[in-house]
Amino acid sequence: MTAGNQLRISQVGLRGVVGRGLEASHVIDFASAFGTFLEGAGPVVLGRDPRASGTMMREGVVAALLATGHDVLDLGIVSTPVLQHAIRARDAAGGISIGASHNAAEWNALKFFAARGTYLSTAEASELLDIYNLRKFHFREYRELGTLRHDHTALDPYLDELADFYDMTALGKLKAVVDCCNGTSSLILRRMRERFGLNLILINEQIEGVSFAHEPAINPRTVSLQLAPLVAPLGADAGFLFDIDSDRVAIATERGDAVSEEMVLPMLADYLLPRGFGKLVITNLSTTALIDEIAARHNGKLIRVPVGRQASMDALATYRPEQISIAGEGTGAVMMPQFRFVYDGIASMLAVLSLRLERGLPLSEIVSGYPRYSILKGEVPLVAHRIPHLLMELQRTYSDGVADVRDGLRVAWPGRWFHVRVSQTEPLVRVICEQRGDPPTALFEALMEQVRSMA
Amino acid sequence: MREHNLKIGVSGIRGVVGEFLTPSLACAFARAFGTFVGAGRVVLGRDTRQSGQMLQHAVSCGLLSAGCGVVDVGIQPTPTLQVYVGATRARGGISITASHNPPEYNALKLFNGEGLFFNHYERRELLDLYYQSSFHNAANAEIGRITRDEETPRRMHIERVLRHVDAERIRARRFRTALDGVNGAGSQLSCQFLERSLGCRLSAISVDPTKPFPREAEPRPDTLGELRDLVRRENAEIGFGQDPDGDRLAVADETGRILDNDDVLALVVDAVLARLPGDVVVNLSSSSSIDDIAAAHGRRCYRTPVGEANVVEMMRAVKAVIGGEGSNGGIIFPAVQYCRDSYTGMAFLLDLMERTGLPVSALAARLPKYYRRSGKVAFEHGRLGPIMQALEEQFPEAAADRSDGLKLTVADGWIAVRASNTEPLMRMAVEAKSEEAAESMYREVVKLVS
Repeated sequence: MTAGNQLRISQVGLRGVVGRGLEASHVIDFASAFGTFLEGAGPVVLGRDPRASGTMMREGVVAALLATGHDVLDLGIVSTPVLQHAIRARDAAGGISIGASHNAAEWNALKFFAARGTYLSTAEASELLDIYNLRKFHFREYRELGTLRHDHTALDPYLDELADFYDMTALGKLKAVVDCCNGTSSLILRRMRERFGLNLILINEQIEGVSFAHEPAINPRTVSLQLAPLVAPLGADAGFLFDIDSDRVAIATERGDAVSEEMVLPMLADYLLPRGFGKLVITNLSTTALIDEIAARHNGKLIRVPVGRQASMDALATYRPEQISIAGEGTGAVMMPQFRFVYDGIASMLAVLSLRLERGLPLSEIVSGYPRYSILKGEVPLVAHRIPHLLMELQRTYSDGVADVRDGLRVAWPGRWFHVRVSQTEPLVRVICEQRGDPPTALFEALMEQVRSMA
Repeated sequence: MREHNLKIGVSGIRGVVGEFLTPSLACAFARAFGTFVGAGRVVLGRDTRQSGQMLQHAVSCGLLSAGCGVVDVGIQPTPTLQVYVGATRARGGISITASHNPPEYNALKLFNGEGLFFNHYERRELLDLYYQSSFHNAANAEIGRITRDEETPRRMHIERVLRHVDAERIRARRFRTALDGVNGAGSQLSCQFLERSLGCRLSAISVDPTKPFPREAEPRPDTLGELRDLVRRENAEIGFGQDPDGDRLAVADETGRILDNDDVLALVVDAVLARLPGDVVVNLSSSSSIDDIAAAHGRRCYRTPVGEANVVEMMRAVKAVIGGEGSNGGIIFPAVQYCRDSYTGMAFLLDLMERTGLPVSALAARLPKYYRRSGKVAFEHGRLGPIMQALEEQFPEAAADRSDGLKLTVADGWIAVRASNTEPLMRMAVEAKSEEAAESMYREVVKLVS
């Protein structure tokens, strides 16, 4: 990461390193823009992750929302999915989550939610950005200001909904080790242990504001740090790792092997597709092709959309909820219609455990039972004006495959595909290449070579 | 006239909430403040204005982002906050209050680590930081916490006040008191103070901090009609009227008549000098009766330009035991804290009543008799100078003091004209030994001004 000005303002909100790019004024202005943008009478629900800077950001957000005439319901430290649940449960006008998810402790971010509890659509996010950039805020006079209330009762109604769908009693037969990475998942999991008698062993469960036990990223490397070596010695059936705001999960088998984050969506689709909801699976162009096979196995229909949260939200909005079975990314972020299309790591964990229970096989055998795909990922620094040329060259070079040009270039052949795209958040070209069976090393090298030659 | 809906200056930031005083502005000012005082605890409190909560969060955001910790004392009279800042050795304090201004206004009152207004140089420095947006931006690991403490400030303040009067004997008298708290920050503390600490029987109105101001916020004879009625109805021996942040005090005697604020200050000065040896400091438009009282106790009375900070600065320099500003109901008693404090005023008046056994009307009648007239006109840039020159010509025999506008002292009285520090107004005041002299001098001033 470069040392310069670490602030990003985009359609997914505001994100940066606090004090080194992200300042109090950004928080107040962005929240003022949201307060100006939001219509509707209900309160705005607010939650944060445990980062120390979250208090500063909360104060700024509260001030801006009150000033723009909104009542505020502060849930304190909660996971993003719990916050999203509360937005609907309290008939709120919208919500703001303060937290930087899988980023290091120095980072923080604001994420904005609409009244339905989901992320803003692209159109809504654009309007919010316009208000922010124009600084056209609608501050109210003193009699029209909002008031602040605290509410620490959001967790149980959220858990009620999970308990309606999953058989908590049956799940109590399994034992899992969970690395909470000092984030919000520990609050939820402790309560689940208490209420449902789940057999969960928590590590790094202390809520921390300044130094997390390790980087809260969701990938096999972080799973291998502390979690994976514990699973077998403790005789657990599985291991799970959550990022700070609990919207994503990573998995370890009972043998202590880290499962690729690409596997979360296929496994959950495998569990959910037969369960009577819709048949659509929505994912992005960079996600593993294993999901195509799983969808086909259950007569599901796969829809691929450009990478990024906005594209997924916009795609979801074009279908009726009951048409959809599952939506997600290869990053371990998965949403289900049962839980209002919210990326939810806890719900994902329960689905994996339910799958484990249903199959009656060790998790390692379930994972190895799927066809093997090998994925290779690389990135090259960007020279913006040469990108179109690069993509046209690539399309010419690989004209024998099926091309998809909605987000960079994706070319697919039977059992093999690659995707070359420009990152939305960083000045990078990403190269992703996957093959059924062994790694597509030659193809990947050739692609990287061609991309580098253009940079 | 230009609308003065926002004022950013050496005395802080004050304005109409909404279009002018925004959360971004309050936050930016707090960032400058936090940068100026440095990492450490800053005490944050507010009065009961509806915009207080919003501004509190904006200020708190700014302080935290500058690396300060915030001690949230909630709704608290300004003097109480000042006592607490000084006693707990915090880095500074911010009181969110527009004092006696109407409810659509709010402001930030800023205090240093001793709980005092910043001096002139400090204020200039702070303002520079604000204008240049040169703020310290704390990283995650440097960000402080918010802690809450609503009870300690009140306890400390009351304890300090009670140390200086004979509370035991006041309690024994079971005074019948009346209070108009304007639903302000002092509402609840005042009830507790009068009933529990001083054993008074109390009839109180407007002591609900959750309700809007029921009257004009400045406690003056023309805004305290309800207090007057309450005193009469309840047969109270004394009535107290506060402003929203509990620094100003107005007093009604047992007949319900609202005393002139200068007389209230004079009574308190008399009561304090009877107990403590030391000099007095008041601003230049306070009544000459205070000079007479000081002289009667063999003490000196110093004069300063108008403004609490000016009076306090002089009080510290001459180690005065009591001071204040007559016209605006400010009583400053340094043994409690260098700040305007309505609680000190209430305690000393009850103490005086107890010691003398006299009703308030009789105590006021004993004061040296002066006649006062005062008024205000809209301020226009460039008009004050010519008016001052013309006045000086009109009264060639007078002694002139130009430290704040112009004060002319003549044989049997004085005339003062000055620009207000907080509002776009020019204020005029006249005082004389006889009603006729006061009237005629006031007519001269009005003629020159209009």
